Amino acid sequence: MSHHMSHKKKTKPTSVVPGGSAPATLEGTAQAALAASRFKDAIEQFKELLKRERRSAWLAGLAAAYAGRAEQLASKDMVKEALALWRTRADACNVPLLSGPYVAWLLKSGQIEQALGLLATVDKLPPEAQALAQAQLAAAALVAPDALLAGLPAGNPLLLHRAAARAALAACTKGELAASAKGDETALAQALQTISFRSPYRDLRPLLKALALLASDPQGAAATLARVPENGPFEPLAKALRVGLLPGIEWLSGLLALDEPGRALVLDLKGCPPSQRLLVLDLAARTGVTATSATSPLELFDLVLRHRKAMAGGLAQQIGLRLLPHVPQRLDAFRTSLVPLAPAEQERLLALAAELKQQDEQAETHWLRFVKLSGATLAGRQQAALVLRRLADSHSQHGFDGKLCSHALAWLEQSLDFDPADRGTHLRLVRDARCHLDLKQARTWLDAARQRFPDDMPLLLEAVEIALAAGAFKKAAGLAKQVLQVDPINPRVRTLIGQAHLSHARKQIAANNPQAALRELDEAANWLRNAADRSLLTLLRGLATESGVAGDSLLRDAMAELGAPLVGAFHLLLEGQRSKRPPQDLLRRAGVDLTAAPSTADVVALAQALNALPERDGAARSAIKVLRKPLESAVSALQFSEGDQLLLCEALHRQGQTELTLRVAAAALRRWPQRPVFLYLEAAARYGANPWAMPQHDWQRLDTLYDQAKAQGDQRTAARLSQLLGAAGHGQPGDDFDPDEDEFGADDVRTMMEMMLTAGGEDAFLDMARQQLGKASFDQLRREIKGSKQQFARALLDLVAPTGPEPSGPARRPPFPKVTAPKPPARPPSPRSPLAPNQTDLFDD
Amino acid sequence: MTDPYRLLGVPESADDDTIRAAYLAALRACPPERDPQRFEQVRAAFEAIATAPQRMAHRLFDTSAPTVQELLEILSAEWRDQPAPQPGRPTEASLYRLLGRHD
Repeated sequence: MSHHMSHKKKTKPTSVVPGGSAPATLEGTAQAALAASRFKDAIEQFKELLKRERRSAWLAGLAAAYAGRAEQLASKDMVKEALALWRTRADACNVPLLSGPYVAWLLKSGQIEQALGLLATVDKLPPEAQALAQAQLAAAALVAPDALLAGLPAGNPLLLHRAAARAALAACTKGELAASAKGDETALAQALQTISFRSPYRDLRPLLKALALLASDPQGAAATLARVPENGPFEPLAKALRVGLLPGIEWLSGLLALDEPGRALVLDLKGCPPSQRLLVLDLAARTGVTATSATSPLELFDLVLRHRKAMAGGLAQQIGLRLLPHVPQRLDAFRTSLVPLAPAEQERLLALAAELKQQDEQAETHWLRFVKLSGATLAGRQQAALVLRRLADSHSQHGFDGKLCSHALAWLEQSLDFDPADRGTHLRLVRDARCHLDLKQARTWLDAARQRFPDDMPLLLEAVEIALAAGAFKKAAGLAKQVLQVDPINPRVRTLIGQAHLSHARKQIAANNPQAALRELDEAANWLRNAADRSLLTLLRGLATESGVAGDSLLRDAMAELGAPLVGAFHLLLEGQRSKRPPQDLLRRAGVDLTAAPSTADVVALAQALNALPERDGAARSAIKVLRKPLESAVSALQFSEGDQLLLCEALHRQGQTELTLRVAAAALRRWPQRPVFLYLEAAARYGANPWAMPQHDWQRLDTLYDQAKAQGDQRTAARLSQLLGAAGHGQPGDDFDPDEDEFGADDVRTMMEMMLTAGGEDAFLDMARQQLGKASFDQLRREIKGSKQQFARALLDLVAPTGPEPSGPARRPPFPKVTAPKPPARPPSPRSPLAPNQTDLFDD
Repeated sequence: MTDPYRLLGVPESADDDTIRAAYLAALRACPPERDPQRFEQVRAAFEAIATAPQRMAHRLFDTSAPTVQELLEILSAEWRDQPAPQPGRPTEASLYRLLGRHD
């Protein structure tokens, strides 16, 4: 190190001491260097000044610069160099050697004898400085062997008070005092009291008190410690105590600022066993306060492995297991160094690792292996069931229509083998089949579930729903009444019962059984309470009543209640359709005048009534056909708010009313030009049934619109545009397509993808496909393309890079190879028939 | 997420009632108006392990990586739990060494 320093001196630029500078200028420069902690420069500059004139201010400046530089060296553990500089300072600046941190550095470097040698100089100091100097030497006298103090005069305060100080220190370190027994506290207090205020060891008293309080009363210890002046004779102890009192785990970061004995004391105080000290220091070095960046899981795993023997009670295994999904490459190291892994556990870790890398296919493979291994044991069956349910969830989240795919269904069914008591799964299977009108399957699931849960309310409700969907209205009402026995105020059940009777009444009206229909309507009236339902009851009574005059009167009452002319007429036509009554006759009987101008409220109520029906409802279509003219004139004549216009447009589009949707969208665009949602609805009405017919210029216009919708934060419209554009098959929205850039033909692409499949395996290929296509599209295709993963991968290959001549029509692009023309995208065609571009039902909102 | 068992101070074998009691105690010790962030952590921990199926799901699917800080907290908590008298009380020798004795 000294060589290093001397080398630095030789190469030091001379410019820090400007030759021939005026003293005032040089003094300013020196003071500036001192203020900026450039002590080496300040030393040279003050020296230069002192060569010219020995002013006391410059001497003080030089002393300060030496002191600063010495502190710098000591902070870098260059204590010997600091001591040498301090001695130079004393000689050059005529200041006492026995000042500042000199004694502490002597002690730190083990020079107790030299420190005590300074005692001889104390008497030469001014009287007011003698007490201070003695205090500074107190630490040296305290730790010195008795032999070194033999030469001191008997009356020396350091000798007089030393025994009391050492006794107090000993009392404080006795282990039994930590138990805070009252007797021990008293003994400690007595020992501390023997250190008097005049003692040079007086600073030791609060420090020892803080030490004793640290574990039992940290606040009291902190208050006591706050009374100790900084840089006193026992500073190393004070510093360690301050670190020990830092809140939470901050003290761990503070450890790094201490020297080795200081760290040992703090770890002693914290109760850290010696076996864990290296581990703790290693971890402390990585805490956020000092580390430049967060420790990676790999670094932490390796650290845990290095210190595994210091971590008792399986802590290393526990931490290692939690880290393994992030560092699967360390599985072997874990098994070798910590504990063997059961095959099922290994599959679980690999599955999680694949999930973290978004390699869903691989994750699925590992989870299914886990299920096989875990499900074979009694204890693991619940876990296997849970994994299967989670797999089914992940396959259903982005479903095209919310329906469970065949895989999800199979997994849920298998999960019931492992965990037949999971009511949620039973219910989910029943609901899925019922919502998708697979009533036979729904009944099968329901029967199985009710055998296990005969009185379960949600399952009973499902039974009601299934009976309603099957047209078994009497059965539905009976089942619903069973539910009411368990839950008498369930409003949903009351409505369901009412609706069941209404549906049964419709059936009777259609079968020309007016008496039976009226009985059902009377029954329904007991359950239905809201105004709309009551109006509907009146309407159906009108249809059921045999007497022409009375029936007509009821129909007119119903029209008055429902609203005229549009929404009332709509309900009338709807019920007429269901009960097979001719529309014009009904309109005449009810006195509906379709030539009357409807109000905006009437049109909006009609839109709401349309939205309450299933999509593309056949009866609704027939009713709208009759109402077409008044509706068209209303759209032309009335001024709707933007929200109402959108409601109407969406409702008509939902019911497959292409021309009306176009008309409403066009009217809206006249008032709110370029509004993405209306432009989308217009395009969806125009091309939704046959997106392949969309011309290139329209595709490009909608592609721009997609960007606009995204920029405006209209995510729903953007998503719908994306779907429409994808179905149209020109590419993915947002891609700038340049045909000249495409350097690869279909054959090249196929060859390349074949190579990727062969080299990377199915899992990697499918993961890449999933990333490129997006999870939703990928999952749809997976549902549609049955078979093994290999078959699925092959089918995808055929889909995106077919062999033979390229198909005519809109250019399709390979969806996922990243080649020099990274184009995509061709969005995947409908999952229902991925290879049939001419189908008519591709678009479905 | 920090280990929910450690956050609530319950063993991994704890049942629903024990976990709920620990959760309520944690809420009393740290009501949301005093430390909303801590409250959120406590709530999330409870929701992760409140019932047996949730505990199983946590055991199977949790991918939160422990941090250096968490490991340090685990270790220092173990030291605190050591029975008194604490074996790591400083010795006279270690104090003298800290103050400058070099034997």
